[in-house]
Amino acid sequence: MLNLKQLSLQEKKGLAGGHRACSGCGFPQAINMIFGQSTVPVVTTCATGCMEIATTIYPFTAWRGNFMHSAFENAAATISGIETAYRSLKKQGRLPGDDKMNFVAIGGDGGTYDIGFQALSGAMERRHNILYICYNNEAYMNTGVQRSSATPKGGHTTTSPAGKVVPGKVQFPKDLTHILAAHDLAYAGQASVGYHLDLMRKADKAFSLAGPKFMNVYTPCRLGWGSDPSQSMEIARLAVETCLWPLYEVVDGEWKLTRKIREKKPVTDFYKTQTRFRHLLKPENEELVKEIQAEVDKRWHRLLLRCGEGA
Amino acid sequence: MSQTIFMKGNEAMAEAAIRAGCRFYFGYPITPQNEVPAYMSRRMPEVGGTFLQAESELAAINMVFGAAAAGARAMTSSSSPGISLKQEGISYMAGCELPGVIANIARGGPGLGNISPAQSDYWQSTRGGGHGDYRTIVLAPHTVTELVELTMDAFDLADLYRNPVLVLAEGLLGQMMERVFFPDPEKRQLVGLLRGRSLPAKDWALTGAKGRKPQFIKSLLMRPGALEEHNFKLAEKYALIEREEAAAEEIDCEEADIILTGYGTCARIAKRAKEMLAAQGIKAGIFRPITLWPFPAKRLAALAREQNNFLVIEMSLGQYIEDVQLAVAQVKSLQEAKIQLLARPGGGVPYPEEIVGRVREMLP
Repeated sequence: MLNLKQLSLQEKKGLAGGHRACSGCGFPQAINMIFGQSTVPVVTTCATGCMEIATTIYPFTAWRGNFMHSAFENAAATISGIETAYRSLKKQGRLPGDDKMNFVAIGGDGGTYDIGFQALSGAMERRHNILYICYNNEAYMNTGVQRSSATPKGGHTTTSPAGKVVPGKVQFPKDLTHILAAHDLAYAGQASVGYHLDLMRKADKAFSLAGPKFMNVYTPCRLGWGSDPSQSMEIARLAVETCLWPLYEVVDGEWKLTRKIREKKPVTDFYKTQTRFRHLLKPENEELVKEIQAEVDKRWHRLLLRCGEGA
Repeated sequence: MSQTIFMKGNEAMAEAAIRAGCRFYFGYPITPQNEVPAYMSRRMPEVGGTFLQAESELAAINMVFGAAAAGARAMTSSSSPGISLKQEGISYMAGCELPGVIANIARGGPGLGNISPAQSDYWQSTRGGGHGDYRTIVLAPHTVTELVELTMDAFDLADLYRNPVLVLAEGLLGQMMERVFFPDPEKRQLVGLLRGRSLPAKDWALTGAKGRKPQFIKSLLMRPGALEEHNFKLAEKYALIEREEAAAEEIDCEEADIILTGYGTCARIAKRAKEMLAAQGIKAGIFRPITLWPFPAKRLAALAREQNNFLVIEMSLGQYIEDVQLAVAQVKSLQEAKIQLLARPGGGVPYPEEIVGRVREMLP
């Protein structure tokens, strides 16, 4: 694995500067830390979303390597086609047999948890040699902050507005990393852009393995979350420290916690940093917060057992 | 109760749907229609209705399918790429004869295109869009007030004919804020496209078979000849709609030097061009279809008996002009008539000056 210093010294990969992501946005750092770990050229496909829009406004592109956008729901299908063609070309002898290349698909949580889920599940079941990265900012941010199935319970979005009667999103988020792990992948990992070393270690590991791989990376969105852009990394760490976003990986069926949390912080510590949870701090929502905390505790406990950590 | 307020097109359309009795809205994010689901998520609970954000456009249209089969007034909205994804569901609704309203706040294509307003979904909207022999009624407003009125009418026509109805408005109309008149929905039923006709009871709806024979809603017809029979039955309905529902706005078309024709945003711009032409001593008429399917071909053909000059203005590359040509060709050869196209595809919006310039080139 290359650390941040080594990354800064090696030939640049991933995104060039000058892309149009917001200040404090989580995905550009995540992409560069992940792509920097690849020792071979990377082919990237991307779902429609903030990242696609912010990095590829024609005639400009921030991508240093091959990049292809298709539709909102199809990043995993498109990378499947590319990877299949690559294998075929090798088989036909039109590419050298020892040629090496990484195939990466990227989507936000809307394009991954929701509309792209079918294509993602299909690609993983067919066991393409790909890495799918979900940059998860817990809502559809590109279209103006609509709820997704990754939006946390109680989160305010424009389509789960917090009011007097309904306190934001009603449902708990889908646990996508678990679902992907159930595809029996070569690698499934949950990471946060706030924990650089953990994220880069996971990317390094994923690239080193053949077969289908998945990474779910937590990336703050200051616009959608109503947070201070200078605090994005702190907030990305706080999600981990409150166990709202535990860091773990599943390699060939083995579950492993990659960051142990000795003193779990209350979810309200996380809520205080973002206006999307402002209403949850009011006394009338005390019971709701208790319910959320209990669910977080339950999911954390379950994860500890899976990872053989006892609890 | 009627009301005049200052409002954004997308929100006004959502409010109109609620006032028309829609209590089930199923949405999915896509620009430039995001204000519709956002408004519905806030407003629907206030009126005891249901807002539901689906996981995809495909899911949203099939939720409309489900709610419509249960007898409810249901709606979904999207923009061009999302409307493409809904086509399967619209075809199934047409096959099952289910009413429902679909709004397309259209943007530029093909592919992801851009988020600028466009009319390049004309063929998709008026020729069927999905698979099979079917038609959707297509309503094309050109002001926010008309967007409100036609949204109300859309629910009525859908229920009257048991057919999906598409409201086709460009992104410009969805994003525009202007003074909006909300008619009393009951009064609108008298003066709007429903024209005071009473709506049939939804006795076909799947409401539970207790105390009655079970009913079926399906589009799968496997018995030899059954599907052909069903298609002929649908065709009769479509023929009836073509006879009864075609609507257009005509302004000063008699004795005009030229007729400017376009729908939606283009008609709005043409109206301004007409004023500018009048100042130059040129008499321009406006022919604006309100229903794109059924296309008011008879009216246009009648005008073509006395008129040779037509300028077709569309924010697409020669889609709408086909219907104009088909209508004019009913009464004279296209060699005799002079039909020209002013096309601005891919998110371009024509300026009134462009229209004036083209008219001056056309007229000797």
